[in-house]
Amino acid sequence: MPLLDLNSINTFYGRSHILFDVSLSVEKGEVVSLIGRNGAGKSTTFRSIIGLTPPQSGEARFKGELLRGLRAYQICRRGIGFVPEDRRCFPDLTVRENLEVAERREKEVAHPWTVERIYALFPRLQEREKNLGSQLSGGEQQMLTIARTLMTNPEVLLLDEPSEGLAPLVVALLADLIGEIRKEGVTVLLAEQNLHFCAKVSDRGYVIDKGSVKYEGTMADLLSNEEVKEKYLAV
Amino acid sequence: MDLSFLTVQVLSALRQAAFLFLISSGLTLVFGVLNILNFAHGALYMLGAYFIYWLTLYLVGPGGFLLALLAAPLGVALIAAVLEMGLLRRIYIQEEIYQLLLTYALVLIIDDLAKIVFGPEFKSVPKPDFVSGSVTLFGGTVPVYTLLVVVLAPAVAALLWYLLYKTKTGKVVRATSSDREMADALGINMSALFTLVFAFGAILAGLGGALAGPVRTVFPGVGTEVIIECFVVVVIGGLGNLWGALIGSILIGALETIGIIVFPEFEMALIYLLMVAVLVVRPWGLFGRPLKIKALSEKNLEMEAQEISPVHFSVHPAVRWAPLLLLLLVPLVAGRFYQYLLTQIFVASLMAIAFNLLLGMTGLLSFGQAAFFGVGAYAVGLLVTKAGFGTLPALLLSPAVAAAAAAVIGFFCVRLSGVHFAMLTLAFGQLIYAVVFKWYGFTGGDNGIQGIPVKPIAVAGLAGIDIGSTKEMYYFVLVVVGLSVEILRRIRSSPFGATLKSIRENGQRASYLGVNVKLYQWTAFVVAGAFTGLAGGLYALMEKSISPEIIHWTKSAEPVLMTIIGGIYTFVGPAVGAVVYIILNSYLVAWTEKWALVLGLVLLTLVLLLPGGVVGFVNEKARQIFGKLRCIRRWSFSKSTTS
Repeated sequence: MPLLDLNSINTFYGRSHILFDVSLSVEKGEVVSLIGRNGAGKSTTFRSIIGLTPPQSGEARFKGELLRGLRAYQICRRGIGFVPEDRRCFPDLTVRENLEVAERREKEVAHPWTVERIYALFPRLQEREKNLGSQLSGGEQQMLTIARTLMTNPEVLLLDEPSEGLAPLVVALLADLIGEIRKEGVTVLLAEQNLHFCAKVSDRGYVIDKGSVKYEGTMADLLSNEEVKEKYLAV
Repeated sequence: MDLSFLTVQVLSALRQAAFLFLISSGLTLVFGVLNILNFAHGALYMLGAYFIYWLTLYLVGPGGFLLALLAAPLGVALIAAVLEMGLLRRIYIQEEIYQLLLTYALVLIIDDLAKIVFGPEFKSVPKPDFVSGSVTLFGGTVPVYTLLVVVLAPAVAALLWYLLYKTKTGKVVRATSSDREMADALGINMSALFTLVFAFGAILAGLGGALAGPVRTVFPGVGTEVIIECFVVVVIGGLGNLWGALIGSILIGALETIGIIVFPEFEMALIYLLMVAVLVVRPWGLFGRPLKIKALSEKNLEMEAQEISPVHFSVHPAVRWAPLLLLLLVPLVAGRFYQYLLTQIFVASLMAIAFNLLLGMTGLLSFGQAAFFGVGAYAVGLLVTKAGFGTLPALLLSPAVAAAAAAVIGFFCVRLSGVHFAMLTLAFGQLIYAVVFKWYGFTGGDNGIQGIPVKPIAVAGLAGIDIGSTKEMYYFVLVVVGLSVEILRRIRSSPFGATLKSIRENGQRASYLGVNVKLYQWTAFVVAGAFTGLAGGLYALMEKSISPEIIHWTKSAEPVLMTIIGGIYTFVGPAVGAVVYIILNSYLVAWTEKWALVLGLVLLTLVLLLPGGVVGFVNEKARQIFGKLRCIRRWSFSKSTTS
């Protein structure tokens, strides 16, 4: 049974139909990429999963259980963590407070994330512990949002375009981090435009365009498939 | 100035500041998290005062008083929690104005219920013995109770600071106030948090009321005075900012005390003047920040699904003019009462339609339209009684004077948007009210102007046309309002009107298209002000006497209510709302004293069930029926540009 499973979901913003029968599944322990251009439907897919923009039809299942009708906070508490693309640190809270507000104690977790464990993984955040969210650089903000979501003890992490707008050095650091997170036992679904970044961190990928999934396969297959790359990913 | 005098005055200022802070800290906290400016916060204050009055009838002695002081705010919080869960929660995704109106409906309802339960008379709570004495400080005599209040407020401020900065829940509250959706996605139960914060805000209002019980009187409606002071405090400090509320309270407390000593005439005007001065320099208040634009675009996405889009049924001109013909015939069959009632409705319709040029078309919620109505009415009253002007010249000058006032006020207001805009218009309105109310030498103060003579109208050397009688006035008002409404209708369907609508839909995009948004908003504000002034001028002629009451902020709520009742996105909606409002008013007042209660319930029902108003509802139904007949629909849409 897949950890996360979407079965032909359709999502709307008001009257505009955005996602068309999107299906995908993620097994426990995997890092899976959702690759597509701007406006392809990556963020909407994530918003559909986490319940911020619930799908109107189709099924989203987490560990076999339907997510229909649940609010975002309930889905988060089930074990799905969402890292939005525009980062959205709480600007008036310090780095430490940003982490603290996300700490969840509702469910029993064998090895829960604590501020100390986070600092071990992200030493940079400890250095900036007392700074406000609004005082961080782009890369630091990206780390803080990832770290903050980890504090909710997710089993699967939805990472929306983490490499966007970051310097190449920071992107490389981020790739290592995703590896670390995977080692900690967290499954990752990654939305990206950057194919090479995906190739570095993930095993499988889905290509999404105009709100529907056009291709799925291993990253190696995708990298060698010039037709798909040309058609859906070339800018 | 000796030390004892200074001590007494400083403590008096601090006591006032302490009350203001207790109440407005709750208001600003609720706004910060829920994004709702709670008009009912003053009503919650009133409940706190009533509760301690009622509780101390049974609980006697020092212990009893302290127990009551604790229990009263908790009782208020309980009521607030029920209101939040039962009513407010349903409309969080609606536009701001519906949330404001819902809390306004609660004011009307709670005030009238208080009248039913506690009676209409003034009540005061006896001060318990242990705090009823006074002490001598630096030679001045200071009541012990004042010291209690002055010490308690900073203690509450410190407690608030502790809760917000040192507890997990406090941190979550601060996080939520800056990004609601993100907090939701991080597993924070927004509904529970909102209820908690709303109830906590109510505790602060209730504590303010309970503490005020022994030193201020309580009566139904006391909240409407308190809430305005608190609005001023939080707007000066910056909406949603706790420290702003603290500084604002101290400023207003000090200013009121100084005002009473130095300018007893214009003490009220001073605080509005301070607010205007602060907002001119810092539009978002001393500690405030501009509201996020982001929230709006997100809301639009959510709104689209349940959008109340206007349907345009083009009507043959003959059909459009038919009601006018009918109205011309009314005096032949209806008596003076109905003629008078209809005249009232005409004036109210003009005011409401002019107001909707701002709200429905441009997306600006003005809460100060009574100011322009009053300026127009006083222009006519003063020109006729003091300068000996004829009826028509005075009436024609009323929109000009109102437009001039709107031009100045609008210049400052259009720099703001949303709730800030509403608050600044409210402050300007109250400033004018305060001046008119006290300026006995010019405006007659709270006596107003009585016996305005309505001279016959002389047109181009012809014999004078008498408009003194009810029937003649009916025709006169009908003609003036009819012409004005036609002008407003043409403005609405002009390119200027289309530009205003684009600003309402998305001001940012409009500005990308090269539209000078502020200039258009300002122009709309002046035009609306002019027609509102004309309505005021007609009112002065029709009633033949005016008083400052017509400028009070509760009068500014009337066009808002009419527009919401009738329908915000239609041209005739506000007029339909005026009909409903005036008829409800006249008949309910005759039938029951609880008119505000009924109005509140009507408003509540509309906001919850028919957000499109009566006309919007009819349009929606019509569309459902006609939508099935596609040819008709196509016909109606193809003509929509001309309607």
